[in-house]
Amino acid sequence: MIPAVEFHNVTRSYGRNIIIDSLNLKIEANRFAVIFGAPACGKSTLLRLLTGLDKPDSGEIMLRGKDVTHVASGSRNIGYVPQSFALYPHYSVADNIAYPLTLLGYSKGETKPIVEYTAEQLKITHLLQKKPDQCSGGEKQRVAIARGIVKNTDIFVLDDPLTGLDFKLREQLFDDLRDMQDSLNATFIYTTSDATEALILAEEVHVLDQGKIVEAGLLEDVYSHPAHVRTMELLGFPEANVFHGTLRGDRQCETPLFTFSTRLDTGTPGGTAVYVTVRPQDIKINPPPEPGLRRCPVEITLVEDLGGELVIYLEANNISLKSVVRHDEVDALTEGEAEIGIHPAALAIYATAGGHNIGRGAT
Amino acid sequence: MTRASGWRRTAYHLLLWLVVLIFFAPVAWIILSAFKTTNQILAIPPLVVFEPTLDNFRQIVADPNAGRFLWNSLWLSIIAVLIALAVSFLAAYAFSRFNLKATNFLMFVLLSMRMVPAVAVVIPLYLMYSALGWRNQPLAMLAFYAMFSIPFSVWILKGFIDGVSRRFDETALVNGGSRWHVLFRVVLPQIGPGLVAAFIFNLIFVWNEFLFNLLLGGRDVRNIPVSFSTDLYSDGGMNWTFVAAMTTVYIIPPMIIIYLFQRYLLVGMTFGTVRGEV
Repeated sequence: MIPAVEFHNVTRSYGRNIIIDSLNLKIEANRFAVIFGAPACGKSTLLRLLTGLDKPDSGEIMLRGKDVTHVASGSRNIGYVPQSFALYPHYSVADNIAYPLTLLGYSKGETKPIVEYTAEQLKITHLLQKKPDQCSGGEKQRVAIARGIVKNTDIFVLDDPLTGLDFKLREQLFDDLRDMQDSLNATFIYTTSDATEALILAEEVHVLDQGKIVEAGLLEDVYSHPAHVRTMELLGFPEANVFHGTLRGDRQCETPLFTFSTRLDTGTPGGTAVYVTVRPQDIKINPPPEPGLRRCPVEITLVEDLGGELVIYLEANNISLKSVVRHDEVDALTEGEAEIGIHPAALAIYATAGGHNIGRGAT
Repeated sequence: MTRASGWRRTAYHLLLWLVVLIFFAPVAWIILSAFKTTNQILAIPPLVVFEPTLDNFRQIVADPNAGRFLWNSLWLSIIAVLIALAVSFLAAYAFSRFNLKATNFLMFVLLSMRMVPAVAVVIPLYLMYSALGWRNQPLAMLAFYAMFSIPFSVWILKGFIDGVSRRFDETALVNGGSRWHVLFRVVLPQIGPGLVAAFIFNLIFVWNEFLFNLLLGGRDVRNIPVSFSTDLYSDGGMNWTFVAAMTTVYIIPPMIIIYLFQRYLLVGMTFGTVRGEV
């Protein structure tokens, strides 16, 4: 199948700031693709290039297998949900939803059933005659999404559309977005800096860092075996712990917490500085004796109760760590001295130069 | 409210009323004079109680020149400001959206043009208009007023267009709308208060303009302010009845406009930076 979107060596800079740097990207058709990255990593610029609102300095942008690098924005046939609602205050909700169709030359009679059907899908039929300023934040977002998907097309771009909404509203919209993507059988390209959104929505995820896609693939693969330290660091809740280590010649890795054996994929020489990472879920607090477990004394600085689980903030040898444990996994925790245990297999090792994965801990 | 603060409030209001009365007294005098005969106007002590007459207004209606001055003031101010708004809207959109490198400098230059004292530009303009044969030409006078109304309008409108999110434009463009569509169907409907503010502010300016009309204009484009300096005398003396009636007719339109649109004047006076009231 022809990919829905391809970027070949696309670069875009503003003055001396390179925002998109020789970026390569391939999004398969009919997938829910999430472009994920920290704020100001270039997500919005990437979408502006994709929608034609901006032109690249160099490189090639392909849509549905055709070069659209120099094709005008309006001729790319993309459904678009902007970052803020951007609902036209002088139009009713119905007219806002019908807007893309009106621009395509549809008559009122033709737009009416389509608008009603889309509104029904997003459960906003009761809002159709209202003006946007009479709607709540969540309702406005639904209207903006309805306007974005009303067009009969196969590529929809959603620029961080749920930002600023409370979690309950976002949760409802997650389901709706996935349902819509299924029913439309179209490609959804969704940008976010929120790991939770990426983990819930993505079928395939593309991790953007400093204007480059550092990793891409199906969510399960990317989450379970992050190939890049930024993916490991950002894609997860809470964010993964990253600290420095040094590889020794005897395949041991020395860190401020402890030394552990490694299984390296490449012949990395001794003395190499590396990043060592571990997810908060893999740090056990005051664990019972267990073979192979690496232990380290720590100080608990804060315990945050999230209801079902606890986020525990730790300090050990000038390294700040986070751990997540279920309520039933630990006895009452208080701030003060404790011990942590980590299975070496849960430690991933990344090169400091380039940030790519070079191996894991071994028992 | 305590008794002391109540007194202070009353005293403050009395002071405000006193200031208003002092400032309004000449206006009241001229309006009352419009309904008096020449003798009543010149009577000492001034007559407060008198039998009003509409003869002065009849005199204005019967005078073909007076009607022409009024018409000139009216069409020059309305058409010039409408032209200025059309040009300024396009310029303000460009300044707001296209991130031109020299935006701040150009906006500063625009404002400087408006801030230069009139006497500093009137001589070069007079020479230019004379050389081109534009003096006493309606279109040339119109062009001048339009040009003079543009800087303020650009400043006010840019402030309002900046307040319209670029996402509106982008949504329209991605969906196939043209830049003209964005301008007139997306942005324009959202800056109505800015257009009204710019219109009112400049309308009052052109309506009151004297110096340039006197020097660049002539009999065919003379407006009311200039007519006061050139058509006040009759039978060898000051024609006070004409002055009073003409002034009354002259100040009524701006008074109504200011009363109806006073909140927009604040926007104009702050170049659109204060928009909360509208």
